[in-house]
Amino acid sequence: MNRQAEAKAFPNPARTREQRRRRPLARGVCLILAVLALWPLLPGSFTPALVPALSPFVTIGTILATRSLHFLAWLGLAVGLIVLIRRRFFCHWACPVGLCLDGAGRLGRRLGRRRPRRPHLGPWIVLAALGGACLGHPLLLWLDPLARFAGVFGPWNQHARPAVVISAAGFLAIVALGLFWPGLWCSRICPLGAFQDLLFLLPRSCRSWLRGKTGNPQEAEASAPLPRRMLLGAVAGASWVGAVSLVRPTRPRPLRPPGAVDEPAFTGVCTRCGNCVRACPSGVIERDPGRHGWATLLTPVLHFRVDYCREDCVRCTEVCPTGALGRIPAAKKADVRLGVPRVDMDVCLLAEDRECSACKSRCPYDAIRYVFSATDYTLTPRIDMEKCTGCGACEAACPAAPRKAIVICPL
Amino acid sequence: MNDSMNRRDCLRMLGLSGASVGLSSLAAAPSSAQNPGESSGFESSVLASHKVQTNPAVATIVDGKVIQPRRELPVLDETDVLVVGGGSAGVVAAVAAQRTGARVTLVERYGHFGGLWTGGLVLLITGHIVKGGKQVCQGIGEEIMRRLDKMDGAIIDRRPGAKPTVDAEAAKYLMVEMIEEAGVQVFLHCWGVDAIVTGNAIRGAVFESKSGRQAILAKVVIDATGDGDVFAAAGAEFEHRSHNVGLVSRIGNLDRIDAAQAANAPKPKHIGQRTPVAGVNWVNMHGPEVDGLDVATLTRMEMSHRKFIWQNLQKNRSLPGHKQMYLVETAPQLGVRITRVLHGLNAVRLADLRAGTRFADVVGVGGADGGNHGEWQIPYGALVPTKIDNVLAAGRCIDAEMSMADLIRLIPNCFVTGHAAGVAAAVAVQDRCLPRQVDVAKVQKILRQQEAYLG
Repeated sequence: MNRQAEAKAFPNPARTREQRRRRPLARGVCLILAVLALWPLLPGSFTPALVPALSPFVTIGTILATRSLHFLAWLGLAVGLIVLIRRRFFCHWACPVGLCLDGAGRLGRRLGRRRPRRPHLGPWIVLAALGGACLGHPLLLWLDPLARFAGVFGPWNQHARPAVVISAAGFLAIVALGLFWPGLWCSRICPLGAFQDLLFLLPRSCRSWLRGKTGNPQEAEASAPLPRRMLLGAVAGASWVGAVSLVRPTRPRPLRPPGAVDEPAFTGVCTRCGNCVRACPSGVIERDPGRHGWATLLTPVLHFRVDYCREDCVRCTEVCPTGALGRIPAAKKADVRLGVPRVDMDVCLLAEDRECSACKSRCPYDAIRYVFSATDYTLTPRIDMEKCTGCGACEAACPAAPRKAIVICPL
Repeated sequence: MNDSMNRRDCLRMLGLSGASVGLSSLAAAPSSAQNPGESSGFESSVLASHKVQTNPAVATIVDGKVIQPRRELPVLDETDVLVVGGGSAGVVAAVAAQRTGARVTLVERYGHFGGLWTGGLVLLITGHIVKGGKQVCQGIGEEIMRRLDKMDGAIIDRRPGAKPTVDAEAAKYLMVEMIEEAGVQVFLHCWGVDAIVTGNAIRGAVFESKSGRQAILAKVVIDATGDGDVFAAAGAEFEHRSHNVGLVSRIGNLDRIDAAQAANAPKPKHIGQRTPVAGVNWVNMHGPEVDGLDVATLTRMEMSHRKFIWQNLQKNRSLPGHKQMYLVETAPQLGVRITRVLHGLNAVRLADLRAGTRFADVVGVGGADGGNHGEWQIPYGALVPTKIDNVLAAGRCIDAEMSMADLIRLIPNCFVTGHAAGVAAAVAVQDRCLPRQVDVAKVQKILRQQEAYLG
């Protein structure tokens, strides 16, 4: 991106007074709508998904990675189509993060901060993400500003707090960038912005390249580095993903919400927006505060400390903006297997002849039976794996403490 | 009629049937009457010599079938509220109904009160606390716990987060005290075997005892038999379930285990949990899932469990340092958990526990075993049969779906349903209405006056 392109994208002295008035207004309205959708105070089951799904960067990254079309993919594609014609349209007219950063930047400039000269990271992030996506794992998709904005909202309870703090810190870091280096994020780092540039410039650069660089010299200059850089970035992303996929994960894989795509891809496709965590009516989804390693940080994991994954609920799959949690019809919920229960007879109250039928009586699928052994004279829980979905009702109900006697383990 | 003919007749019939039922001639005297032969000395006297019972309706064999002819039963008592079963639900129901102002008669099959709580040695009080530590079993149930607390060595672990365990004998004593204080008429060693029904309404119940087969007439009957013997006999709809049947025991001298010798030994199995008596544990047993109404099964359970308890004790005693361990007792009552469950106007359901449903006709609140969930309400409808009148269920046989049965049958929840049934029966008697038409608001008001917790 050259200086002119940048000038076109950011505080433009030439823009009309009309635009100057209208743009912040439009973005302000979008900010309010985004907060309402994420809170969620807007009606509709999928409204929280709207905000992160608007990003064409996330949309195209997931389409490439999952090779499927998410039900909200048309949103991101529509925004993508608009920016093909109107450069950085989303940044100028809709981005709620941009509005926050403008505010921070204005404050920063008042404090004497200046826009530094830093290399453009954004296009590299975009290209690495798309390169990785081709191999099923879009790298750095979680850097999308809309996902980071959504990630600030979260349940503020004892267990969710560390993850919400980490997630909010991510967004605050972006705002802090805006305060100390006004414009740095939007022009140099933001992958959503860079992707819009790419969408706008790529057709033009291709056209000029086909014309043998005989067209508009300015345009040629602007687009010349793109194809080579694109290739490099994409190859870097793809090779990184390829290299990582060769390494077998040593940690146990986490327990994912229903409809989750397969494990190595999940950490790429998931933008860590936290929508599923907020939407879950039983509160069994939490953002991993780093228990399973860096790669899964802030991704949704299931816990059944107090409640279980309801037999008729598919809320998390409705609000996932990327398809990391694929849509499931509520009627098919019983077919989705989340994990496998493991019984530890060392702590099971039945082994001590205690009167307990918590797991059996709470199982919504009637999958647990207690089998009496005539030799040991004890009961042992036996699970019918045909019926069991790993919903965690048994684990939630298990009164054994501090360690539960029945625990859902990943498949 | 010729006396000698009568005697011969009678002997012949007894010989044929092999049964000695219907000793009705001895049964007429109520307990309050002066009993001949009762004296303060150590002596035995002849109450009647050369006596032959007149039993015109003795069972006989007709066409190869054992037939019991129609006969008139002596009426032992007429009362307002008849409570059948003196377990934890029945005792509380009787005390509650009497305190509410009704005349109450309580009959119990064993020689003590408390049923499975004491006679079954299920000494644990659990299911009265909800998440957060609140105790939802209040009223007479809490009174029992409080009074046990004041007795020496009667209850332990009555503190938040623990499960209180009682001494069976202390509980039996306390219940005698409370029943006498309330002024309830009691018949022990009296097994309710049938209902007296006219049309759709129960008029009383029939009992079998050493005094023979007798009837007690009542305005309202509370079925606290655990097995729903009375409502089932009256023709009320019920569900017949199987559950694990075990035999609880107590072992002693656990405080005399030689710790040094036992340190490297394998751990003893089935040694249970502590009781108020030092060094004595009560040992629960699940047993296999069987039909608790089948007498052959119950016999088999009793015998095989008894063998296991003894053999397990021997195994434990053979472990280093465990030589002193001994079997204090096996429970007088077999641990039958669930048999018949009433089909009532309403039911206790798991979905309502989860949703925290509040019933307009709430008469009690149940807690959580282990305190891992919230309180759940018991609707009055779960105590009332769909069709049969004048009978209320209390204890483990009230209408509860399978998944709730293991909560309903816990001792404190039996206190709660007993309390509710007792007050409701007394109100029905006072207001001269059927239990199903009772003014539930009035029942709730009285329950609250008696310090019950209704959410």
